Amino acid sequence: MAEYSILVVEDEHTLRRLLEYKLGKQFRVLTAENGVEALKMLDQELPDLIISDIMMPKMDGFTLQAAIQDKEETRAIPFIFLTAKADEGSQLKGRRTGVDDYITKPFDIDQLISRVQRLLERTKIFRTQLDARIGEDFSKKLMPKSLPNVSGYRTIFYNQPREHGGGDIFDWTEIRPGTFFITVGDVMGKGLQAKFYAFSFLGYIRSTLHTMMQTTESPAELIKRVNQVLIDDPPLEDTFASLLVMRWEPAKNEIVYANAGHCRPILIGPDNADVATYSDIILGLDYAAEFKDTLLTLSPGSTVIAYTDGILEQVMKNGEQLGEEGIIETVTAVANSKEPVDDMLHRILRNSKSPAFGDDVLVFWLERLAESTEEAPREQKPESVDREAIDRDPAPRAAKVSDDAADATAATEDSAAAATDATAATDVSSSCDGCRRR
Amino acid sequence: MQATSMSFFVEPVNADTAVIKIGQALDFRNAAEFKTTAQDQVRSGIQNFILDFTDTGILDSTGLGSVFSLYRQVSPLSGQVVFASVSRPVQVVVQLTRTYKVFRQFPTVDAAREGIR
Repeated sequence: MAEYSILVVEDEHTLRRLLEYKLGKQFRVLTAENGVEALKMLDQELPDLIISDIMMPKMDGFTLQAAIQDKEETRAIPFIFLTAKADEGSQLKGRRTGVDDYITKPFDIDQLISRVQRLLERTKIFRTQLDARIGEDFSKKLMPKSLPNVSGYRTIFYNQPREHGGGDIFDWTEIRPGTFFITVGDVMGKGLQAKFYAFSFLGYIRSTLHTMMQTTESPAELIKRVNQVLIDDPPLEDTFASLLVMRWEPAKNEIVYANAGHCRPILIGPDNADVATYSDIILGLDYAAEFKDTLLTLSPGSTVIAYTDGILEQVMKNGEQLGEEGIIETVTAVANSKEPVDDMLHRILRNSKSPAFGDDVLVFWLERLAESTEEAPREQKPESVDREAIDRDPAPRAAKVSDDAADATAATEDSAAAATDATAATDVSSSCDGCRRR
Repeated sequence: MQATSMSFFVEPVNADTAVIKIGQALDFRNAAEFKTTAQDQVRSGIQNFILDFTDTGILDSTGLGSVFSLYRQVSPLSGQVVFASVSRPVQVVVQLTRTYKVFRQFPTVDAAREGIR
């Protein structure tokens, strides 16, 4: 708890030194001999807690406490009265002015310390809650309110930020009718700071994207520029991020993407699943880094899945991280289910060491519907986040997974039949520049 | 509420090179401490860092970020950051982020000492 500072206001030298010594083992201790001195110190620095005597020369404890109550910046600092005045009158007066605790001399130092700890814990909880609130607000703003709605395609987005998670980002924009830019990334670091950086970083990406659209629509060029900005701009110093940028043109059934050290997308074809192998260095390290546009052609019934490292690094029952192989295995199993992302996450959790995800979870699922099963455009909203259901009770949902797996087998046969149609049978791996066949 | 103290063992090689032994984990819990350790070394004139990953089971993005910061700091001074004895979990992260392009790797700390000269 050395992160906390305590102001001790006590005129008696011996007691002041004793408190300084005892409390100093755990906290940073500031001392003052009377109220006047204490107020001067408060102008310089705000402690996390104040312990004050009542009877002191120059300015007594009551006057000091009243002055502290009058000032907005000091009013909320936890305050303990420490005094020989055991009579009811001063106790009442002390209470009436709204102090947090009132300890009479002679007192037990351990008891004092435990009260101090309790009060500081309250402060800590408030702070954590505030951080969580701000973090949640950032997270919400960082995530989309809607998804591209294109006939012949299905898009699913799932995001569940964790309190101690980092700066996952997802963004999409239709830069002109029929051309979408989709950005998935992760700003390094944890907690509120990472979320804050992610928030600013997304602003940079969006403005760079819109500026660059005048001259180029290359994801690689965009990433290259963002990388230079990260290295050049002092406010972004020490910011590192992985970034996947995809330009999606549904009319051509094509995605052109560039990848700066981000988790590699998975491509599920009608009969195989591949990692889109191409990737380049993460942003913020090498000013001269070059990136490459890579083409993915989407045949009917194929899906591109982008995600962040929370999934990749989830620890499985065998103690190993899920990894790319694990993700491929999972998505293959759920590819034809009705709610593939939900099922994917439940399947992962069912095989995880712990029943919840340890980090932020973000999945973007982009599926070209098999031509025979083209559906009426559906209302597309981001998946409602039901983390509690996932955390609380993975078992009943897991049962659902196996149902879907049965469906999946049947559906696979359907799509295999559809794939006999020569035009639909474009082989995913041959059309995927840089894909690794599994 | 006490912060887990995870100090890093630093072994000087010569006037401008040092080995920092990364323990079992370099992650959000001790990344700040790593930064401080490395900072102190840079201040005392060290430009080349050999990071020993022999025992490292966890390297998360905050941990990796602290290594990147060090790289950003020493590279304008023509300094280097190299990885030695890279464990499998660390290798996975390095591959994923394609950072082997800037961090040279050596099979052992001794090989790194030789190689960095």
